[in-house]
Amino acid sequence: MGIREILGRLARAAPIPVFPVAGADAIEAVRDLRLRPEIELVATPRHASILLVAGDFGVNPIPGLALVHDQMPLPRVTVHWNDKSLGDVHGHVVGGDEADLVEALSALDREILTAPDGSEPPILPDVDLVDWRGVGPYGHGGKGMTGGTPFGRPLAERAPDRDGLELDQLPITIGPWVGALPPGLQVAVKFQGDVIQEIEVVSAFGPTRPDDVFAAALHTPTPVAILELERARRHLRWLADALRFHGLPALGLWALRLAHDLSPQDQTEVEDLLRSVRRSWVIKMVLSRIDGGFDDRSMRAGLGPLTRAAGLEDDARMDDPAYQALDFQPILGRLGDPAGWWRQRMAEIIQSLDISSRAGDMTAFGVGSVEGPRGRLQADNPGTSTPLELLPGLLTGLEWGDAAAVVWSLDIDPFASMAADLPVGVES
Amino acid sequence: MNPVTSVALVGAVLSVSVYLVAVIDTAVGLRVAHRRRYAGVWMAPVAAAARLALQRRSLTERPDREAWALAAPLLAGLAAVALTAIPFAAGVGIADTRAGIVLFGAAMMQVMVAVFLHGWGSNSVFPLFGAFRMAAAGLSMGIPFSLVLITTALPAESLSVGMIIASQEDLWNVLRQPIGLPVYLITALAFSFWGPMNLPDGGDLAGGTAVEASGMPLLVWRIARIAILVALAAMGAAAFLGGYLGPWLPGWLWMVLKTLCLATVMIWSGHRFARIRIESVVVFGWTLLLPIALVDVFVSGALTL
Repeated sequence: MGIREILGRLARAAPIPVFPVAGADAIEAVRDLRLRPEIELVATPRHASILLVAGDFGVNPIPGLALVHDQMPLPRVTVHWNDKSLGDVHGHVVGGDEADLVEALSALDREILTAPDGSEPPILPDVDLVDWRGVGPYGHGGKGMTGGTPFGRPLAERAPDRDGLELDQLPITIGPWVGALPPGLQVAVKFQGDVIQEIEVVSAFGPTRPDDVFAAALHTPTPVAILELERARRHLRWLADALRFHGLPALGLWALRLAHDLSPQDQTEVEDLLRSVRRSWVIKMVLSRIDGGFDDRSMRAGLGPLTRAAGLEDDARMDDPAYQALDFQPILGRLGDPAGWWRQRMAEIIQSLDISSRAGDMTAFGVGSVEGPRGRLQADNPGTSTPLELLPGLLTGLEWGDAAAVVWSLDIDPFASMAADLPVGVES
Repeated sequence: MNPVTSVALVGAVLSVSVYLVAVIDTAVGLRVAHRRRYAGVWMAPVAAAARLALQRRSLTERPDREAWALAAPLLAGLAAVALTAIPFAAGVGIADTRAGIVLFGAAMMQVMVAVFLHGWGSNSVFPLFGAFRMAAAGLSMGIPFSLVLITTALPAESLSVGMIIASQEDLWNVLRQPIGLPVYLITALAFSFWGPMNLPDGGDLAGGTAVEASGMPLLVWRIARIAILVALAAMGAAAFLGGYLGPWLPGWLWMVLKTLCLATVMIWSGHRFARIRIESVVVFGWTLLLPIALVDVFVSGALTL
């Protein structure tokens, strides 16, 4: 038995490193793979052996997919799972449910561990985007010792910073597939140091809508218990992702497991989890210290927990007779900042579990509008409201780590369309 | 000690302790996640290492190859050098020089260089952010780290780690200098860039300085990170918990238990506390930890006099 075979046998006991590229309707299914001990979802393609492409992206080819593929080290393999737009990256097509997927991934992993020669070649040519085009006396780019686009890669160029000084400013596009941001979100940023001087959301995808219980409730009477349990579940899933981002993957896994099997009887364990989150410093030591002047800019109607965190009484459930019969009163926060958004969702998880346990067989009618976990859904616009258009105002001037923390705190759905979908609301 | 024996001893100690710390990290992660399936924890580090060993290294566009290749071995080497300053048992030390604690501190300060090279070498944005974060965190935490460590030399009237351990025969420094160990552990987290202080390799940078690494270089980097944590925990045990001193058990076993105990505290903090903002780390280091560390020096100095 050779050393490679011995290592291969040992390696099979480790979880398979998978880099996910998930469309709107597959994000939750892919996220739930974290609960499988056989799989490890990694934050960068450099750490992965399998590229998992799943769901509907609304465009074809999928932006950035070929680049992600070529960044993976050898041996590597691509798997398309219920992928509706196979795009320009070929690979193994797998249908069925999660168990079928895990079985297929395990088989492919065994294959590449033992026979790495069957690995996938790069898709893009390994050449420079353009020839060197330096203009300075030393072959550099633009004015002074900075700037220009050698090999098609923009270098830092001197520009005034927010304090009136001249510093190098580096333009970078981040996303749409990077573990530091929600899947699908792509931003074009101009950095000075790691401070964002300008930021623009790049809209790379057509609007796609996952079919969920809240969109269905616009047209079909739905039990309040089901709606509220789903709301708590969605907030817990957001919490799982956000905790992972803040360096707490184990707590995130606990949140994800609770979300997966949630019932109203789990309220005590959910409270235990939320107590651990409060003790983790994430709210007091991290989010509360991000100085972005959030209160004014985030007070906008229709954004659900974000709006209520700022103290605005804005909740479609107040108009529903079923919720009125349950004495529903929206929870209102005092400050619409990232810490306030966390506190709001955490409080609403408990509120939703409480309503779910009391609702019995009461039914919500959702006439005209339904309160979804990310805000108000309207009959003429079933899309989930998204605060994507708020990003430039919220993130400009922040250090990158703070900016990414704000993005995760917002609970963004990058696949939802942007400003046009937002209900007309109240700007404070 | 014979040089060959020394290298073998340090290698063996680091290998076993890195493995044990990796096992503890896996177990604590499972405990915090409320997934109490501990059956696989003993094999998990070996399996993960085997998987990385089979993966090929990746190359970025125009990397600084030498710097990138040097960073991980340098970090592992610094852990080994730091460990040589610490006696494992009475009379069993690799290089328990008269200035052992200075040697240890010097090795830890070079961690900043290794991490910076790792971030710089790949010629990529997020790793470079991580590199500069390490410089900022290391500079902010370096002085309080050095002060509380050097304060343990006052009762011993020696910079030798062996003498510092011997000076705790009657009273451990954790009781004699109660401010010292908490400050040491917080600053040690910054130098091991672990848990709440994992700023260079944090999730907001998708892995930071390690985001572009794969295969064997990534394996060496991960091992080196744990080795630094082990070295810091071992020095914490020696400087504050009496090192190999203790009743009933052999000295080396006391040293192992105390080291693993401190390593577990640091690992546990990594699973329970969120990553702190770089600005907070800098402010915390200069405005809070530095004055506290100075108080530790002055009070301990006065008591020694």
